[in-house]
Amino acid sequence: MDLTEHTFDALVVGGGIAGLQAALDLADQGHRTAIIEKDASIGGKMIRLSKVFPTLDCASCITTPKMAAAAHHGAITLFTCCDLNAVAREDAGFVADVTQQPRYVDVDKCIGCRKCEYACPVLVEDAEQGGFSGRKAIRIPFSNAIPQKAVLDVENCMLCGKCASVCPTGAVVYDQKPEPLRIRAGAVVLATGFELTPIEDKRQYGSGEIPNVVSSMQMERLLAPHGPYGRVLRPSDGKVPDSIAYVQCAGSRDASMGVSYCSRVCCMYAIKQAMLLSGSLPLADITIYYMDIRAFGKNYEQFYQNAKAMGIEFVKAKVARLDPGEDGAVAVRFEDQSGEGVSTREHDLVVLSMGMLPGWQPGEACSVSTASDGFVRTIRPKMAPSLTDVDGVFVAGVAAGPKDIVDTITEAGGAAMEAAKYLAAHAARNQAQGRTQGRTQGQEATNG
Amino acid sequence: MSGNTAQAQARAHGLDKEQMKALRAERAAWVERASARARETRKELKALRAALAATGATESAAGAGATVPEIAAAANLAPDRALWLLASLRKFGEVAEVDKDGDFYRYALVGAPAPEQEQ
Repeated sequence: MDLTEHTFDALVVGGGIAGLQAALDLADQGHRTAIIEKDASIGGKMIRLSKVFPTLDCASCITTPKMAAAAHHGAITLFTCCDLNAVAREDAGFVADVTQQPRYVDVDKCIGCRKCEYACPVLVEDAEQGGFSGRKAIRIPFSNAIPQKAVLDVENCMLCGKCASVCPTGAVVYDQKPEPLRIRAGAVVLATGFELTPIEDKRQYGSGEIPNVVSSMQMERLLAPHGPYGRVLRPSDGKVPDSIAYVQCAGSRDASMGVSYCSRVCCMYAIKQAMLLSGSLPLADITIYYMDIRAFGKNYEQFYQNAKAMGIEFVKAKVARLDPGEDGAVAVRFEDQSGEGVSTREHDLVVLSMGMLPGWQPGEACSVSTASDGFVRTIRPKMAPSLTDVDGVFVAGVAAGPKDIVDTITEAGGAAMEAAKYLAAHAARNQAQGRTQGRTQGQEATNG
Repeated sequence: MSGNTAQAQARAHGLDKEQMKALRAERAAWVERASARARETRKELKALRAALAATGATESAAGAGATVPEIAAAANLAPDRALWLLASLRKFGEVAEVDKDGDFYRYALVGAPAPEQEQ
């Protein structure tokens, strides 16, 4: 496969909210910007959320316009399904070696009609819906995905030909190959986001084997308007849960999982979800088992107090273990720090507040260094939090460490400004060098 | 779909018989696993649809549909699997939630014929 080369002013790695904000701010200043995204759609984690704290605004109502703005911006080019193999300095800028994984669909022909999706006979777990429902082997990733182009999961395709037979534009390409891309840019913004700590890693909480123990991201999908069930139900049998518990610090502040740091947002997202649950299930008992509540941002403490006033129970306790209870319930064993000692309570549904891990490790691919927690090291965290130890490479959002959406968007704007400043300084330097060279050549011509 | 039809369709979309054969050989393990999964799902969906059809459609009188445990029992499926399949069918508009029944919601096929009334 031939290498395709592209040249831009700036390269943004990651198409989540941080990457989109950084790219939009750069493009609005006239910089031609490329976004490379590993998934088949831009939008990152935020587009998968139900609502945001502390305003309880709809998450997709904030993210979708930014996704659309980036997709339609004349100065932004999106590259989805891309793996970043290496990014290195070259002359005055950077060169990124990228592999664009095949969608097995010709994006120029696909019109997003979903006929292929309806025709496909293979149903597999839909990770976009927390695994609570099925998706087809070929599908549009989710309802507000951008681009609205189908993608074929070739590992679950039986090559029956049904999708190709119903496609009105002949867009299905069964033998599409990965395509190598080379992207040159003057500056790079890393906005590689995060992954949740795996639920399987916590043996005391059942390693993901206990029915009705779900992760916080799965609960986001249950709460989302386009969620798998259209409401909150117990995954084991569809029962409307009467009692829901949150286990805080289930994947953070836990050396046994290799995550000794606080993930910063778990307290607030648990409170947000608890408030949403008390709205959708007004009769349900909601309990949050916590070690400390970290309500660090503007209006966050008020948000926490409002949750308590709504009747959400906060129990200061570290949960020791979870076990299957009776009739699909989950037994939560904990030590109450208020002096009640060790107790066990049963809940219909238990949500583990998982922590944040870096979404990408630079490793050999990029020479930026990481801190002891694995997130990208920033060299001036207080004054210029987007500066890395490589001149011309900037970082935005959770790639530099756990943070909420407000801070992510603010920092992404900062990273864009730093990148624009860097590009302007380089352009001025190149212009000055050009003038000097021109004068020298002119003098040589005169002398000659 | 027969293999010949698939071949014809693939040819229409740029792959000839030999290329398709080579692709099948290259992806044999994936194709086999996906086919087994599709066969299993088809059986489960058949049982689920039969269980739902017996309880009436969304358009029929109040009381149509069944809860997840009832559907699971009728279709001889685990309740979590029945809910997973119902959620998948709901996504494609084949099943809808009708109303609440105690701690559960009832689900029914969309547009299926109403069951015969007992005389």
